[in-house]
Amino acid sequence: MVIVRRKDLSLLEKLYLPEIARGLSITFRKLFEKKITRQYPEEPLPTNEVTRGQPRLVVKDDGHIACVSCGMCEIACPAYAITIDGGETDRAIEREPVRFDIDMLRCILCGFCEEACPKDAIYMSNELELADYSRAALVYDMEKLKRPKAALQKRIDYVYRLNNRWRKSSSTR
Amino acid sequence: MSPMHWDWLVWFLKANVIYGGLLGTAAGMTLAERKVSAWMQYRHGPNRVGPWGLLQPIADGVKFIFKESLTPDGANKWLFRCAPALAAIPSMLTIAVIPMGPAIPFIPGDYKYFSITDLDIGLMYLLSIGGLSIYGIILGSWASNSKFSLLGGLRASAQMISYELTLILSILAVVTLTGSLDLRDAVAAQSGAIWEWHVFSQPLAFILFSIAAFAETNRHPFDFAECEPELVSGFHTEYSSMRFAMFALGEYCAMVVIASLWTTLFLGGYNVPFWEDAPWFLCIGAFLAKTSIFLFLFLWVRWTLPRFRFDQLMALGWKVFLPLALANLFLTGAAVSYGVKLW
Amino acid sequence: MTKIIINGREVEADPKEPLIHACHQNGANVPMYCYHPGLSPVGSCRICQVEVKQGNGPARVVVACRTPVVEGMVVDTEAPKAHETRRECLEFLLKNHPLDCPICDKAGECDLQDYAFAEGQGEGRSNEPRRKLDKRKSLGDVIVLDEERCILCSRCVRFTEEITKKPQLAVVDLGSRSTISTFMDRPLQGNYQGNLADVCPVGALTLKAFRFQARVWNLKKSLSTCGECSRGCAITVEVLRRKDVKRFRPRYEPKVNNWWMCDTGRFSSERHNATERLVPAARRGSQGLEIASVERALKQAAEFLSGAVACIGSPFMTIEEAQSFAKLCSQLGAKPAFVSPAPSGLKDDLLNTGDPCPNRRGLLELGFEALSPAASRARIAAAPAALLAGERVLELCERAQLAAIRGPRIATFDTHALEGDACDVAVGIPEQVEKSGHWVNIDGHVGKLTVARAAPAGVQALTRSLDELRALLTSSGVASR
Repeated sequence: MVIVRRKDLSLLEKLYLPEIARGLSITFRKLFEKKITRQYPEEPLPTNEVTRGQPRLVVKDDGHIACVSCGMCEIACPAYAITIDGGETDRAIEREPVRFDIDMLRCILCGFCEEACPKDAIYMSNELELADYSRAALVYDMEKLKRPKAALQKRIDYVYRLNNRWRKSSSTR
Repeated sequence: MSPMHWDWLVWFLKANVIYGGLLGTAAGMTLAERKVSAWMQYRHGPNRVGPWGLLQPIADGVKFIFKESLTPDGANKWLFRCAPALAAIPSMLTIAVIPMGPAIPFIPGDYKYFSITDLDIGLMYLLSIGGLSIYGIILGSWASNSKFSLLGGLRASAQMISYELTLILSILAVVTLTGSLDLRDAVAAQSGAIWEWHVFSQPLAFILFSIAAFAETNRHPFDFAECEPELVSGFHTEYSSMRFAMFALGEYCAMVVIASLWTTLFLGGYNVPFWEDAPWFLCIGAFLAKTSIFLFLFLWVRWTLPRFRFDQLMALGWKVFLPLALANLFLTGAAVSYGVKLW
Repeated sequence: MTKIIINGREVEADPKEPLIHACHQNGANVPMYCYHPGLSPVGSCRICQVEVKQGNGPARVVVACRTPVVEGMVVDTEAPKAHETRRECLEFLLKNHPLDCPICDKAGECDLQDYAFAEGQGEGRSNEPRRKLDKRKSLGDVIVLDEERCILCSRCVRFTEEITKKPQLAVVDLGSRSTISTFMDRPLQGNYQGNLADVCPVGALTLKAFRFQARVWNLKKSLSTCGECSRGCAITVEVLRRKDVKRFRPRYEPKVNNWWMCDTGRFSSERHNATERLVPAARRGSQGLEIASVERALKQAAEFLSGAVACIGSPFMTIEEAQSFAKLCSQLGAKPAFVSPAPSGLKDDLLNTGDPCPNRRGLLELGFEALSPAASRARIAAAPAALLAGERVLELCERAQLAAIRGPRIATFDTHALEGDACDVAVGIPEQVEKSGHWVNIDGHVGKLTVARAAPAGVQALTRSLDELRALLTSSGVASR
């Protein structure tokens, strides 16, 4: 058994007042120190390629969406947030989505869709803000989800860097 | 216009200015409280309403007015509605006797001092009316029909009684020196050099008064009437909307009054140090500045010290402060009786 | 029966079938692309190789689809040598097969994809580009050919030769330029083209109607029976997101249709995606037909259904519905009848009977009377009240002419109400893919229907509506006779 004794207080300490003055001096000094609050809407949080924000669809440099509506993200999505309907195109890549909805109210930002995508078509962007006045407006359709590839390039590079640890070759690209 | 009408007009003007100032200061204190606490915690505080958040009190007021005012089911409706007013009105009444400056020369028929009224038993009036504000708290807490409210009210009453003794005894020491219950005399006795201030002749009374002032206004570290970790929100747990705001208003007004009293009794009132015949506006400025120091002290202490335990509060009040105050009064009385100049 | 040993287990095999059939019968998983149980084996893909030992001879790797079963042969489908050979075959097949599974419609039900996933090596060893051919070559109205994906198994060629007996497809050109083609690129003919997409082991032959519409793993599959003719082919109904009926596909049923079905039946799935339905019921009020609850509509029907009621059923009624209908008829004192339209002219010698009544035999055996549409209308027009029940009964009685009938008060039980002023009460019923029950086909085989998709909320089963109507009639004093 250990008996822990409180430290015996000296007379000055017992008087409280000097100690109170000491405490007051500390708080008074803090008054003038630099504030660490971030004024959020005006000063957004810094994001980097590791930020896993909302999923966005890649628009390739030729102006076409990279998605071929293969349904991998749809089936990988644990929250059933994604709905895709395919359609035919005249291009060499025969298939593209005619409807690609992500219900952002359901999306849990887990990034499984990004992992599942075989076509580098869906990536977690650095966009974090999600607010609107109705539920319907938060079901994002393809037009709301499209982003030029350049906007997502940092994330794409990061995911490749991450995956190259175990990916021997990139024959499926 | 007869002189009597002039008197009425002047009185009306002064009452408006002083009450406006009192309520404005109380509102400003709510903002200051949040700002100072924020600065001490590396934060910015409210800064969205108006420049630097200066209009925040107005936004708060508007919010309070438009909130729903709830009355608990088992409450005593009549007392429940009266209590906030009972808590707020006494602290507002007491400001009337505080002399805030000398006579203003260009107002004809002015009383001698810049105060609403001019009682020769000002201190007596102030202490007796000020003591009434506890009724609002006790009645409100009892009428709420809530155990947390009632506990808060009980604590508040016990605390008030304990510390009112200390407060009055420390004031009596000053009264013994000046020999008058008139606050004008207290100010006059401190005019001239800075060492004439009672803070130097009555240092113990000064300290006791300061501490008791915190307890009397239910401020940290003695805010046992609220004590949110233990009593949800204390005596005003069941209050909402403007009724809740009245309690807060009463508390802030009481702070302003006690700060004014502190200035008047110990810091030379509206005297400008080393300048006996200072112009009237400088005197009022000096008064406001001294009062602000004590108001800031209220905030400063609140955001520095943790709350006491209730038994510590009682022990401190009865076993330490009361004997000290009695001894101080006895010594002061003895010194005055035997003509010993203490300072 | 011949006794052979497969993977160390002695089994009995049918000597008329190739070895791969015996392997599959006994649980050995031998991959196959060119072999199809309904077609003659050719051994062109070589993926079904297994190790076989006969007598004292050495173990040899042979293609299981072209090897006859011989008494006492010892087969090892999992031998390392067999695996290695199969992997080599697979690598050759994948040499030119495009890796566009994300785009390909077959993904998810593709033999090549499954086996490449199980056994494939994951990366290619060649640097040469894949061959470039026509990605979308139209073969008629039904089928699109993707020449790049084709692995030249020739199943489709054999299907046109052996099943429809009208050879239309052939492997043309030589070597790596070989493709499947029709003669002079003429479009495919016949009512059985849809089966080509089914027999194709990869995504080379796809249905134009289904192409890129849905991913197959999102389709909920329910067994059912085709209702386009009295053959009653066993089918699988595939529903996307509990709503759209995307495909009818044939289901193996040796007594009826084997692996095949006609295009008429296959594309009748479209009919079930109509957006307009009668939900849940309607009755005639002051504003014409008004939507009402089933209960309310039945109550109104019970008020006027008495006396000599004309009762006309639909040939789409299941046995169960027909029984409820027959009981109701006997209570009303009417003879149960069903409308039997003229033959469709689609009759062929393979599957289609040309008779558009899927449950003709079942209804006749229940004592129903078959009436032509004209005779049905005549019977309705002559009666003071009429009861029409079953899916498509209004359509088969020719709606426009039916709606022109004046006089009798009519209660209908169909997916749609009858237009105009003719009908007094209309009760919605589930469609073929929304109900369970049985049809008896022309040969007496019982085909089963299961619920592939829920009926719209509020619509109740026809049997229940008819039984409730019967209970109402009983309580209102129409005695059971």
